[in-house]
Amino acid sequence: MTWIHPLSAETEETPSVLGGKGYGLVVLRRLGLPVPPGFVISTGACRAFLRDGRFPDGLDAELAAAVSDLETATRRRFGGPGRPLALSVRSGGSVSMPGMMNTVLDLGLTAEATAELAAETGDVRFALDSRLRFLSSFASAVIGLAPESLEAVAGETAERGSGGEEAHLAGAIRGVEALIRERTGGPVPDDAMRQLELAVRAVFSSWNTPRATTYRALHAIPHDLGTAVTVQAMVFGNRDEHSGAGVAFSRNPDTGERIPFGDVLFGRQGEDVVSGRSTTRPLAELAEREPAVWAGLLDAMGRIEEHHRDACYVEFTFEAGRLWLLQTRPGGLVGRAAVRVAVDLADEGVISRREALLRVSPRHLRYAGTSRIEAAGTLDILTRGLGACPGVATGRVATTADRAVRMAAGGPVILVRPQTSPLDMHGLAAAAGVVTARGGPASHAAVVARAMGKPAVVGAADLTVDAASVRAAGRVFPEGTFITIDGTGGEVVVGSPRITTAPADSLLHRLLGWADEISGGGSNRDDAERLAAAHAVLVKQPGTRQGP
Amino acid sequence: MPESPYPTSTDVLVLHALRCIGFAGLARVAEATGLPESDAESELIDLAVAGLVTCVPGDFGGWGLTEAGRAADAEWIRGELEAAGTRTAVAGAYDDFLVLNPELLDLCTAWQMRSADGAAVPNDHTDPAYDARVLDLFTDFHRRADAVCADLSAAMLRFQRYRVRFATALARARSGAVEYVTDNLDSYHIVWFQLHEDLLATLGIPRD
Repeated sequence: MTWIHPLSAETEETPSVLGGKGYGLVVLRRLGLPVPPGFVISTGACRAFLRDGRFPDGLDAELAAAVSDLETATRRRFGGPGRPLALSVRSGGSVSMPGMMNTVLDLGLTAEATAELAAETGDVRFALDSRLRFLSSFASAVIGLAPESLEAVAGETAERGSGGEEAHLAGAIRGVEALIRERTGGPVPDDAMRQLELAVRAVFSSWNTPRATTYRALHAIPHDLGTAVTVQAMVFGNRDEHSGAGVAFSRNPDTGERIPFGDVLFGRQGEDVVSGRSTTRPLAELAEREPAVWAGLLDAMGRIEEHHRDACYVEFTFEAGRLWLLQTRPGGLVGRAAVRVAVDLADEGVISRREALLRVSPRHLRYAGTSRIEAAGTLDILTRGLGACPGVATGRVATTADRAVRMAAGGPVILVRPQTSPLDMHGLAAAAGVVTARGGPASHAAVVARAMGKPAVVGAADLTVDAASVRAAGRVFPEGTFITIDGTGGEVVVGSPRITTAPADSLLHRLLGWADEISGGGSNRDDAERLAAAHAVLVKQPGTRQGP
Repeated sequence: MPESPYPTSTDVLVLHALRCIGFAGLARVAEATGLPESDAESELIDLAVAGLVTCVPGDFGGWGLTEAGRAADAEWIRGELEAAGTRTAVAGAYDDFLVLNPELLDLCTAWQMRSADGAAVPNDHTDPAYDARVLDLFTDFHRRADAVCADLSAAMLRFQRYRVRFATALARARSGAVEYVTDNLDSYHIVWFQLHEDLLATLGIPRD
């Protein structure tokens, strides 16, 4: 086929054709790892679509053939009748970027297919939950409705319904359908193939959204690459109590220790993990609740590490106790974690010392002196979020801006809010640091905290802020509790743990020792200069891989 | 003939500005409303007598709403929107705002942080070419944001003030006062943050 390539071990196209996501999945297939069957529509098809405003000749036929192959492979029918095939449709250029259409899940769950799914599984709740996820993701990604409006209308109509969970889901579905009709003048087409076509067009078109265009301009990414589209048979993390989804790093992304690290959500689909809308559980809980899935995941990460000779990241789903991998990429660790992984891999004999040196960027070392909570020892973790402004701050919890101002007269305060509004500005000004339950590194709270130079942790999803206390992981902490926050790693810790200002680790000293051997220089320069000098020598040598 | 946009009375203008900017001194209230300081102060005193605003002393103090002021603002702003009959237009503009909001936050983040070989590090503003690129993108963004503010202004005259404030912040940043991007209280981001709050308050949407 010209435009479409199956997700199979035999597919030989490069990431520039398949996109980073599609290529990663082909690598997983080559490693013999479980990947839901599917196919990739190439970046070339996207470029042709953007140039001509329509699918290139032959794409429609290839799409129909690829779906038909998928029906055969899964022994399911797309749009029914019979056991229904539902698809996930994801974007994926060779680099990912915000502003692009992301994902439509459960595509093909027409009204009829939803009924078939309920009949097949005997689980009406599951079928309706999946249908609601389809409508919401389609409305958001393809029609462009704001997720905020969708959540509001789904919540509202679900509350009005009485009765059990099924009635609530049915109510939410009616609410979302009504909103879609109101905004577009018609319903979501109840034809599975038409849904797929629209989703693919939406992915292609999203390459040129203003936000994506701006992002490319900021990061010097060429505008003419285009995005691939990955289409796969759905695996359902919301199927039953032995289902769920998660993300995992093969090594701790904060410290680099060889301990798998990540989040898992039981009974939910992957979007819930990545969006930060739901409270995730630490990855280790998977070992207790689903030992077979855990073993499979460790084995998979081991094989991926071996292949890339580097740490790796995976997104996974498990359905009825069976593990599926949905995305992977190598490396991606920075700062002290990158140093530790590079030295460990050299010690394990996986990479040479020279390669270890090239795995660490001198520019990362320049900021390694930022204060951090010392990872060693037993930390009483209150919650975790995303580091949004580097630095460590210690103080007493205040849950409103007014109280932050009053309490600040008696010593440092950490303002803890669900999210921030301009009405919190005086509290932010008075506080030593800020924690929010919602929002990401590009949220109002994060931008304001950085403008004020205050350490900040945002998106601590399991945190609930009450009138005069905060709650996380079933524990309640009254206002005035002494806490410490790390705006790099996102930790929120009870009390005042030890703080390190320099990476005191012996691993960095060893790495820099190797650097001096290569460059012939001494240790009377700063860390970044010592590493840069070694890089300068190494990149001139033939056969040396440039990294990271 | 299209009807002219709905004007807001001065007392509501001052009360609602405080509702959207949070605790603020007289100068900031004047700036946010576009009123001369003496007029703004006179309104603030009347509102204080009515128990709707209060002046808190101290380092982080200033004028702020009382609970009664917050309730009055919600009622007045809802009444104003009904009287103008422009809820649909404002709601539509809010949808457009929500499309622009993540892009603006991307731009602010890019102004503050840079990617150094995959790691986000503070932008130390020692690379004029990078900063110029971000400001150019801000300028392009501003054209699209201004169109949304124009729609809002056509529905409700008080939104016109945001057009002035955004244009001023951008012009100052471009002329070298770079704290007007994200850092000071009249920066582009802070004005945007206030517009976000204003739209939520105007449409009666809770922040969660």
